Amino acid sequence: MSSEDSNPAATPTPGVDTQGDGRWMSLHNHFVSNSKDKEPDVLFVGDSLVQLLYQFEVWRDLFSPLHALNFGVGGDATQHVLWRLSNGELGHISPKVVVLWVGTNNHGHTAEQICGGIMAIVQLIKDKLPKAYTLVLGVLPRGKMPNSLRERNAQVNKLVQEAVSSLPHASLLNVDPGFVHSDGSISHQDLYDYLHLTPQGYQAVCQPLHAHLKGLLEKQAEN
Amino acid sequence: MSGDEMNPAAVAQAVEDIQGDDRWMSQHTRFVQECKDAEPEVLFIGDSMVQLMQQYEIWRELFSPLHALNFGIGGDTTCNVLWRLQNGELDNIGPKVTVVWVGTNNHEHSAEQVAGGILAIAQLLTSRLPKTKVVVLGLLARGEWPNPLREKNVAVNSFLRSWLPRLGHTQFLDVGAGFVHSDETISTRDMFDFLHLTAAGYRAIAKPLIDLLLQILEETPEEKRASLV
Repeated sequence: MSSEDSNPAATPTPGVDTQGDGRWMSLHNHFVSNSKDKEPDVLFVGDSLVQLLYQFEVWRDLFSPLHALNFGVGGDATQHVLWRLSNGELGHISPKVVVLWVGTNNHGHTAEQICGGIMAIVQLIKDKLPKAYTLVLGVLPRGKMPNSLRERNAQVNKLVQEAVSSLPHASLLNVDPGFVHSDGSISHQDLYDYLHLTPQGYQAVCQPLHAHLKGLLEKQAEN
Repeated sequence: MSGDEMNPAAVAQAVEDIQGDDRWMSQHTRFVQECKDAEPEVLFIGDSMVQLMQQYEIWRELFSPLHALNFGIGGDTTCNVLWRLQNGELDNIGPKVTVVWVGTNNHEHSAEQVAGGILAIAQLLTSRLPKTKVVVLGLLARGEWPNPLREKNVAVNSFLRSWLPRLGHTQFLDVGAGFVHSDETISTRDMFDFLHLTAAGYRAIAKPLIDLLLQILEETPEEKRASLV
């Protein structure tokens, strides 16, 4: 895998305030202070697919009962998540499971670079939280019809699957319930803008995720 | 008022597919198709503030019963909305009310230009849909703390307040009251990323909006239900 220096997807990089209202840093600071107050058993970290999950009923139904925290930031790519986790968001917490969902926003990076970024995050979590299990969620398909980003995301999942297969503390879970129909299309009923999940889309993703998480938590409790 | 030819915020412009999955055009195409299938009484058009509303329960509770269509696309500027309206998203429909909510993404433009862009949208709507009443929603504050974008959005609203009444059939509605607390912060309870509204945030803005819509539609929910019996 490419070294951190040569892989932009694996080089911790803070979000840039291009718009002028400092929102990225505000969110990061909030998460750092959340990590001082809370004692989550599960930490969700990633991009808007994580962030938006918190806004819908499904979070309260399935993940609040598991004592979960949500550190999702819309627009984040792997290098941004890497920076956040390196700069305080893992500071005072010791979750049993970290759910990592990121990669779709790594525009301009190859599948290999994105995999490198995800694996850098997995390694960082192992370094900072030696007892935690990292569950990497597969990057979902996107776009209404087949396109190069779907191919890229599928390749990322394949590479990550291979990379984690030898690790006892991490695995990849494919959470795509079959969003792509037989004609190659994705429905706006599942992904309202062909990228972000509707509440219905989240239900389809989260039921199996929840079951898998419960299994992991039970196993962690036995250890 | 700013001349449209000189105002870049009033120039129609499609979004280029830079990422590679053509999602903007796919959404536009779907909206054009919805114009052929549906007969909305209320049309919502704008950016993610409009789009996200449809994903919360509040849409089904309050706006679906009004036969509302949602043509919001995340990231859209006034230029993008103008392009969409000129390229099929107003064909074959005759809504009684059109709600416009756009402008917070116009990062390249001054407050006056943004207001001019919104004005151009209102003008386009009243000329293409002579029976529609246009409601322009004010831009909300954004960012956790005071910042230049909050000032800019306040300035946009100020221009709109004075310009819109001069257009017939158009009014301005400020739905931003209460989001900025006395310590000048915005809470993640209302805007989960200091820009986009939570379910609670949408509930707060829905109250004044639904009151105005019902007034314009000249029916209360009870009357409407009675008329269906």
